[in-house]
Amino acid sequence: MTLKLDSREVDGVTVVNCQGRIVFGEESFHLRDYLKQVLASSRKLILNFSGVSYIDSGGLGTLVGVYSSARSAGADIKLTGLGQRLRDVLQITKLVTVFEVYDNEPQAIAAFQRGAA
Amino acid sequence: MAFSSSGSGSDSGGSSSGLFPTLIFVQGNEQRTINLDHSPYSVGRKVDKDLVIADPRVSRDHALIVSENGVFFVVDQGSKHGTFVNGERVQRQKLERNDRLEFGVRDVAYVIFHPLHMQSSNTAREFLSQISGIHISTETTDLEKLTLFLEAARKLNTIGVLDEIFVTLLDATLKLTRAERGYVFMKNEDGNLRLAAGRNSKGEPLLDDKTISHSILDETLKSNSEFVITDTSQSLDLAGRQSIVAYDLRTVICIPLRKPQVQATRDAQGGATGSGEVMGALYVDSRFASRDISSVSNEILQAIAIEAASLIENARLVQTEEAARRYQQELSIAAGIQQRLMAVTIPEVPFARLAGRNLSCKEIGGDFFDAVNTEDGLAIVLADVSGKGVSAALLASTLQGMIYSQLTARMPLVEIVTAVNRFFTHKHIGEKYATVIVARIHPDGELEYVNCGHVPPLLVSNQSVNRPTHGNLPVGLLKDATYESDRCRMKPGDRLVLVTDGVTEAENARGDFFEDSRLEIVAAKSHSLEDIFTAVADFCSGTPLSDDCTVVDLLYTG
Repeated sequence: MTLKLDSREVDGVTVVNCQGRIVFGEESFHLRDYLKQVLASSRKLILNFSGVSYIDSGGLGTLVGVYSSARSAGADIKLTGLGQRLRDVLQITKLVTVFEVYDNEPQAIAAFQRGAA
Repeated sequence: MAFSSSGSGSDSGGSSSGLFPTLIFVQGNEQRTINLDHSPYSVGRKVDKDLVIADPRVSRDHALIVSENGVFFVVDQGSKHGTFVNGERVQRQKLERNDRLEFGVRDVAYVIFHPLHMQSSNTAREFLSQISGIHISTETTDLEKLTLFLEAARKLNTIGVLDEIFVTLLDATLKLTRAERGYVFMKNEDGNLRLAAGRNSKGEPLLDDKTISHSILDETLKSNSEFVITDTSQSLDLAGRQSIVAYDLRTVICIPLRKPQVQATRDAQGGATGSGEVMGALYVDSRFASRDISSVSNEILQAIAIEAASLIENARLVQTEEAARRYQQELSIAAGIQQRLMAVTIPEVPFARLAGRNLSCKEIGGDFFDAVNTEDGLAIVLADVSGKGVSAALLASTLQGMIYSQLTARMPLVEIVTAVNRFFTHKHIGEKYATVIVARIHPDGELEYVNCGHVPPLLVSNQSVNRPTHGNLPVGLLKDATYESDRCRMKPGDRLVLVTDGVTEAENARGDFFEDSRLEIVAAKSHSLEDIFTAVADFCSGTPLSDDCTVVDLLYTG
């Protein structure tokens, strides 16, 4: 397993730190199960990808899958800490139009607060 | 000895080869082989039947197949639509090999009784018939008998046919113990004992019947210890056991078959009993108190049980390997289908030249390209399904079929990808999606294309490369995704180059990617897709590809 996940609470928002590679298989299943668990108790989620070195097509599929089911359950996921490669992938696949992407964590948290106000 | 009577070609009915007669049950395209291992064997629509045929024309209690002294009969149970043997309606009919049985439904579902071609290999019995020629004198010591048995066991180790092993085991045990009949029971998945083989001392197959002492069997399994009674009448605590009383069983031997311990060697097994998990039981009995049986020592019976268990385990391993080999075979069939789907017949058109090539890193992958020529122009598709292996290949084939048929029907490109996306998201393929690029070039040079999350195409004109930023979401990810197409006009000599991300993400030993920049340089200079593959190969310099690479090159000639 090359993906480590941990989470913490910041101003009512759950920030999940991802560390390693998000590839289809053990890693993507781990990510899905972990996020499902977090989403059971939290509706505001930030995924911090600054520790993610690589995400493959399968990992991206998992991410979109979790994102769509979270949205339909009334939860919201924002992304931050994207490396250039992941930005490129989201650009090519036009998933930038689907995910909300922020340059850093405080901006993402602020966006949640604006939404709540 | 028993062996001389078996294996001849004149057998009929149930008393023929190896173990139980087989039933081949055919329903639609499916075919199942069933061992007729007990009697009566019930057929009907009710779920508790041995053979359940879920068809309204089959009665709930339709028919029974019964064995009487080794001869099999089918008996209709007052069914509404009748029981048929070789096309004739019957009430009760003796079964011959190859008979065709039909229950209510005609043609759709039928059973073939014990087909002749189902003869299993006779290697084991041939071998045993050789050793059966050896006369075992009454003076033969236990040790000699054991040696004989072990000899047989070792030879059999190479055969690996479970049924043959059961028969051989029983024949050898009956020969050693001189008991009347013997059975091997094996535990199935839910822990219940199922009859695996039954033989009498004449070498005839036996079915499960009520005269077997199941209470002794159960006890053997529960206590996990040998159960040997040489004279039941002397054993007071057995007086109450139903079958022993009812059938006057005087001698019963029941030995648990334990899974051999992995580390145990043949030498170490010697006389010690293993403590492995119980797989089943070997059961022999006689209706007379046999002095012969008592002359066989307990050690020999234990040795038999240990050897038998290790034989069975070996045979099971062989069968598992066989299953794995078949699975591999299926995979290579799937790969073959995939290869044929990938073998695109490129249409000849006067206004353009098309070439495409796929380099698979694995046996089967998720890349495909296709080309269809219609009156609207030449359409090309390049797609990359996420993930690898069989699931990706399956999805790729479905995708290819859907797109191909819609292109042939001259559907607008945007409608095609919208329909495909709707199909895949509706079916919840489960986080699997595809990046697709569909393009159609009209004879006048008008190019329309839809990019769904794919690596942007390269438009090469006068050695300069344009990468349009147009794009949409991949198909299969979000059900409410909308798609748009982009258009441009190609001049004679212009080229459209499509690649999958296996090309741009080809890695060298340092972990660098081939990248779009290198791709653009080679695409601008080259006139064939072979140059692109050469450039990728040079760049990787021996580092194996981690993803499929597909390149499609369209030259508009005007």
